[in-house]
Amino acid sequence: MSDKHLSTQFDTELAAISNRVLEMGGLVEMQVGQALHALTNFSADAADEVLRQEERVNQMEVDIDRELSAIIARRQPTARDLRLLIAISKAIANLERVGDEAARIARTVGRLIKAGIPTKLPLADLDFEANLAIAQLRKALDALARLDTARALEVLKQDDLIDQEFDGLLRKLITYMMEDPRTISACIDIVFVAKAIERVGDHAKNLAEATIYVVKGTDVRHASVADVENVVR
Amino acid sequence: MDWLFRRLLGALALALACTLVLAGIGALVGSPVLGAALGAMLATGVLVLRDSVKASRLMAWMRVAQGTAPRDTGLWGELAYRIERAFVAGEKRVVEERQRLEQFLAAIEASPNGVMMLDANEQMLWCNRVAAEHFGLDPEGDRLQRLTNLVRSPTFVAYLQSGRYDEGATVPGPLGRTTLSVLLRDYGNGQKLLLSQDITERERNEAMRRDFVANVSHEIRTPLTVLSGFVETLAQLKLSEPERQRVLQLMAQQTTRMQSLVADLLTLATLEGSPRPTADRWHSVSTLLERAKADAIALSAGRHELRVSAENDAQIAGSDSELLSAIANLLNNAVRYTPAGGRIDVNWSRRDDGSARLDVCDSGVGIAREHLPRLTERFYRVDGSRSRDTGGTGLGLSIVKHIVQRHGGSIEIRSEPGVGSTFTLHLPAIRVRTLNASRGADAPVEV
Repeated sequence: MSDKHLSTQFDTELAAISNRVLEMGGLVEMQVGQALHALTNFSADAADEVLRQEERVNQMEVDIDRELSAIIARRQPTARDLRLLIAISKAIANLERVGDEAARIARTVGRLIKAGIPTKLPLADLDFEANLAIAQLRKALDALARLDTARALEVLKQDDLIDQEFDGLLRKLITYMMEDPRTISACIDIVFVAKAIERVGDHAKNLAEATIYVVKGTDVRHASVADVENVVR
Repeated sequence: MDWLFRRLLGALALALACTLVLAGIGALVGSPVLGAALGAMLATGVLVLRDSVKASRLMAWMRVAQGTAPRDTGLWGELAYRIERAFVAGEKRVVEERQRLEQFLAAIEASPNGVMMLDANEQMLWCNRVAAEHFGLDPEGDRLQRLTNLVRSPTFVAYLQSGRYDEGATVPGPLGRTTLSVLLRDYGNGQKLLLSQDITERERNEAMRRDFVANVSHEIRTPLTVLSGFVETLAQLKLSEPERQRVLQLMAQQTTRMQSLVADLLTLATLEGSPRPTADRWHSVSTLLERAKADAIALSAGRHELRVSAENDAQIAGSDSELLSAIANLLNNAVRYTPAGGRIDVNWSRRDDGSARLDVCDSGVGIAREHLPRLTERFYRVDGSRSRDTGGTGLGLSIVKHIVQRHGGSIEIRSEPGVGSTFTLHLPAIRVRTLNASRGADAPVEV
């Protein structure tokens, strides 16, 4: 997040902590991608990789929060700098939860592999929903890095798409379960996976809201899309 | 130096003149000394005034630094002229340097690889367009942005921060659809040069090759395992004559299966290795269709209704053996995947633009939409067990696709599960003709 004022020690600290947050974002992005790969290829290795990273993500949340408190105590920031630090605090909480969702997906894949993979699963639809969520997460993190409210607004607008995908998937899974009750166990697992993906999309939305808060000073959580558009313009 | 003399002489002359004149006037009123003094003061004043005016004009021009310098004679004129020349020369140098820089940048922009410059704080100083595409960056807007804020892949971050750049690293591109090979080099004062190359295609080909080898091994190992089991049975067990015959029959089936597979593999290898068939050997379409039809009827054994239609004079240029193989393959697939009592139509037609199409329509089981794009992949099977039982190797459609592409055409597949499928071969105009039209102009050679 390059800013126009002269480089001071405080600026260096802000830049460093912003960089750490985005590093955490990158780690979590990789986790979600790996979880999706584990799901579509039924790869136990990929699932294990996701679970191995969980420890590191949790540690990063703790470390960054500590650094955050130290900066606020030391510098007593105001206005935009303070909003940036508050947004960072929210961002890492959301990112840690995305990591949790990825871990959940990985554990489900592990369970499905052990139970024997049923042949007829709507994996293509899951793949589509997941790619939407991954794109949203990436867009939200990019918007945060560039403090780009236009991109953040796009993320907010596209959140509905993921919700619609989830609803469609749920309906499809219900028909599968009705056709063949032997698949119920696997289908319920898939429902949880789809829900986890939908939550990743929601966390991306929260990141976008935090970005708008930093730049515009307005908290746009729970506001309608039209209202947010007015704020961003 | 003569400007100095002129100036001094002029000043002296003016001073002398003013002093003498005013001394004279002063003498008339009784104080020549006062007059002389006044004259000297007057001369000095005029000279200072004149210099100041010229200097201020020059100063004004220099402050604005635009337009032409004030013209003058003597000191100020020459000063102005020389300053203007220095300005012009300086600007010319800047323009030349800028052009050289632009040529360098244009050369780097033309590179198929991504080139990026990072400063000691890992901030992006400059990147070419290809690098911007590789990493999803904005070449202008993202300047001085810390690179790891936007390129967040943990593999990349670890590589960048390791400081060890003897080898490159393979990192996923943004959105995970591409794979990039990345190389870093230190230069200057803690700065880094980043080179990136898109190796998605290369990785995909490697993966395809690995899959192919794995598939072939699997396809051969399965019948071999069965066969060796039977061999062991024959060697160790005492079997009755009918039992022995049964085992030998099953062994024959497995060897036939392996032979078909090897034959198809060799066909594929030959197709890939040989040059494309030329477009000067013409063959009758109806003859090819009749031959393929005969094979299909034998395979169908009366269970299907088979209809073939083509103009008698239609001809196609290329390799008759390859074309026959392709058509036979499609017909045999239609027979295998259509239940008894079904119908198969083969139709050859020309389009207005001269190109032709061969449609093989069946009323068979059809193919689900998700399989259609992958149907012509090697070893791709919709339903593995059924395909193997009916003698399929998994390579048939791949061979058909190769053949039709070698003849400048393409294959199109449409299908509806439960209703039927249509496999269409499209052939370009230069490879097809109607015999009547070309009679006289170029006598066809029937081979």
